[in-house]
Amino acid sequence: MNKENMNDAKQALDDTQLDNLLDFDDDDPLGATGVSRKSLVIFFLIDTSGSMKGTKMGELNTVMEELIPEIRRVGEADTDVKVAVLTFSTDVRWMYSAPISIEDFEWARLRADGVTSMGAAFKELSVRMSRNSFLNSPSLSFAPVIFLMTDGYPSDDYKKGLAALQANSWYKFGLKAALGIGQEANDDMLAEFTGSKDTVVHAYSGEQLANMIKIIAVTASQIGSKSMTLSDETNHELSEEDVSAAKQKLLGQQIQELVGQNGTDDVPFDSGW
Amino acid sequence: MFNGFSRSVRGASHEARDLVCQDSSAHKVTEYYAVAVVADGHGSKKHFRSNVGSRFAVESTVETIDRFYQDPEEFEKSFPERHKAVIKNIEKQIITTWNAKVTEHITANPVTPEEKSKFTDEEFAAINVESYYGTTLIAAVAGRGFCFGLMIGDGNLVAVFDDGEAVLPMEYDESAPANVTASMCNANAASMFNSFYRDKKKVLAMFTSTDGLYTSFGSDYDFLDFHTIIASNLVKAEAMEASVYKNLEKRSHFGTEDDISLSCVFDVEGVAENNELLLKKVAENKEKAAKRRKELLTTGLKTED
Repeated sequence: MNKENMNDAKQALDDTQLDNLLDFDDDDPLGATGVSRKSLVIFFLIDTSGSMKGTKMGELNTVMEELIPEIRRVGEADTDVKVAVLTFSTDVRWMYSAPISIEDFEWARLRADGVTSMGAAFKELSVRMSRNSFLNSPSLSFAPVIFLMTDGYPSDDYKKGLAALQANSWYKFGLKAALGIGQEANDDMLAEFTGSKDTVVHAYSGEQLANMIKIIAVTASQIGSKSMTLSDETNHELSEEDVSAAKQKLLGQQIQELVGQNGTDDVPFDSGW
Repeated sequence: MFNGFSRSVRGASHEARDLVCQDSSAHKVTEYYAVAVVADGHGSKKHFRSNVGSRFAVESTVETIDRFYQDPEEFEKSFPERHKAVIKNIEKQIITTWNAKVTEHITANPVTPEEKSKFTDEEFAAINVESYYGTTLIAAVAGRGFCFGLMIGDGNLVAVFDDGEAVLPMEYDESAPANVTASMCNANAASMFNSFYRDKKKVLAMFTSTDGLYTSFGSDYDFLDFHTIIASNLVKAEAMEASVYKNLEKRSHFGTEDDISLSCVFDVEGVAENNELLLKKVAENKEKAAKRRKELLTTGLKTED
């Protein structure tokens, strides 16, 4: 690239210039410094209490392994999708010690045991959703996606944990969705977490569980990584509140549409699986 | 002897929508001091002249520092003892100069019907004139025996000292609400600056950048390492400048697609005398980065069903 072209920031780059920018030059001291794409973190909050034992946990492990390549495809265009998995039973534990890029992420199969400390999970999430912790990447460009999966009612004071979470700005601006697994999951409580009934769905069978997880995770990632800040009619940036509200509404609409198209007749969890 | 360079590039998202570059950058080098300054115009609807506002911000800063250095020897003598009060005064003078430029500009260039057409009469009446030109500002000054910096709004200032460390002397403030950026256009702007002053360690190079640069990195470590690499190559200043400009273009197109500005000033003898140390730091940083990556992928909970 010649200097005259570089001096003119207003001039759009043509294909040849873009090729030149991507050329790796051994003599260029900055040539090997990585450029991070815009990044998005997806938080999975997964109930691993004893009631998830058997088919539910087996299906969940299988579908999560299958889901990783699908999320990779969401991000490959221009977003670096990172994944953080928080499990809760008697204790709360992170699968990895920090969000991992989807390119490097490997699902570590989970096992179920203990009670449902959901309030403690909410509290742990609120601590980690900070610029000083899990959301410390400079390239973080989008509010996080937060996806809760549970099959029962919390055994601890979830309202206290939820109050801590609701005070967190990342949670406020984040895209929230929840999946109730089986008959015991309480949709009203899940709607308290997401802030809207439209972003709560239920799975009563193994097939539904697989479908719902994929629908929610892929749709939320697509919407979450959508740049909406330069999209209004006046070519000026929208506020974060506007973008957040528009995305949450879109997620609810799309989830409900897709769920409506995915009815199944297979055997429910609570009748013998 | 000081030297320096500065550059602003338009981000891909702005190119795609045919929006002007809202960043500005400048540097000035004299026998006594060098100043590196950048500004990032806010860009949102009510700040419709922020590209002009960011230009005024860098001009006001260079002019103000120049005025304070009118008698350089006297300034060098009195400043270290009274640095807090003097920096506060510099901040006030920058705001005053910027406001005067804004007033002059709006008088000569009244708001056009097209600019006004984006608002209802009620909306437009609620916007202060200064807001049309809203911008951040980050400035670094390397003097003989001391250095200082000041900023209002987001962006970064990196200093590389003679121990080879690249540091952020002014930390990010998480207490600021996520979508509220302190600005030159705020009524109480003069009280919203962050600043720092150092005279214990010798500064080799200082960099100011708008947030488009920072957001093109995956971690703070990578961001600081980038500056150490630049510092270690300033002995070949011309080649380094070309490399930096090419890299900024790349980052503005393949990173977060935002406008990017970087301004750098450095002590020519200092970077030459410490070149071996800086190159050693670059090699150490590379090893540390590899170790961090390995740890990230191997630690954490791993259970089997």
